[in-house]
Amino acid sequence: MIDHVKEATGAVEREEVTPQGQIALHVTPANWHVVAEHLRRCPRCNFGMFNWLSAVDMEDQGFEVIVHLYSASSLQAVNIKTMVPRDGGSVRTLTDLWRGASFHERECWEMFDIGFDGHPHLVKLLLAEPFVGHPLRKEFLLMTREAKEWPGAKEPE
Amino acid sequence: MGVVDKVNLPQPVKFVLNWGRKYSLWVMNFGLACCAIELIAASTSRHDFIRLGVIPVAHGPRQADLLVVAGTLTDKMAPALKRVWEQMPEPKYCISFGSCSNCGGPFWDSYSVTKGVDQIVPVDVYVPGCPPRPEALLEGIIRLQTMIADESLKERFERQHREAIIVGGPVGPVDLSNR
Repeated sequence: MIDHVKEATGAVEREEVTPQGQIALHVTPANWHVVAEHLRRCPRCNFGMFNWLSAVDMEDQGFEVIVHLYSASSLQAVNIKTMVPRDGGSVRTLTDLWRGASFHERECWEMFDIGFDGHPHLVKLLLAEPFVGHPLRKEFLLMTREAKEWPGAKEPE
Repeated sequence: MGVVDKVNLPQPVKFVLNWGRKYSLWVMNFGLACCAIELIAASTSRHDFIRLGVIPVAHGPRQADLLVVAGTLTDKMAPALKRVWEQMPEPKYCISFGSCSNCGGPFWDSYSVTKGVDQIVPVDVYVPGCPPRPEALLEGIIRLQTMIADESLKERFERQHREAIIVGGPVGPVDLSNR
């Protein structure tokens, strides 16, 4: 399946098997939508189910945006991963392929400030309207923690 | 409210009025997290707060006398709580059930959780615990009823400072104005 996607799109930089035993395809932000569209539309792939989309703060390297797809016909799951820069990073929206991507992209946008070009309604989803900042970025300060140290043991490195 | 909060009622009238009020508390369940499960458990047959005259599931806030906030209130949800409270008719009471609604609880350092529902609505009884057992809610209700029993509505509405009962805390209402 991976070889087929690689040949058909020519956009997969490399692939890996995650510790959970799933396939992850690494792409550039420009090819994000190209690969997703192929996985959705191609009858051999047929990844009809959008599971989730999120991002990981990789500090100096930027943000890794991940989307997790599932195929109900081949019972396979696949991740697409891309690295976007910290400031002004964006990818094309997947809402034209899966309507359900909308909430995930809105959450990702408000939590990390990652843009989703072409999203029909990119407004805050979970945060209150007057909230300032992007709380899942690592440089976001928890003001309560600034005033009072975490009382328990430090989180494991 | 009419005349009962304008004048000091004669003691027998006050007694009968308060007796009626304290044993027909229609409760508005504002369940937000796991504490709501304990609240529901308190309403079912094992603990059964209906025997104390607390009637669960008011038809809406306009028919309710008692608001129980059970669970984690977020800043996004806070306007909805305010709206429910303002729809309830006077005299109305509020029980803050569980650590999250008392002070934020385990989410003390969160960016999205309201640290205490008393920032949004005035709380009459605080029930600590994470989550508190249904018995703790029963005690909170009984102590609220004790407070209602010798309450003067005139004094309640004229009072400037804030008083609240803390379950497991001192006997009688605590003045929270300076906290």
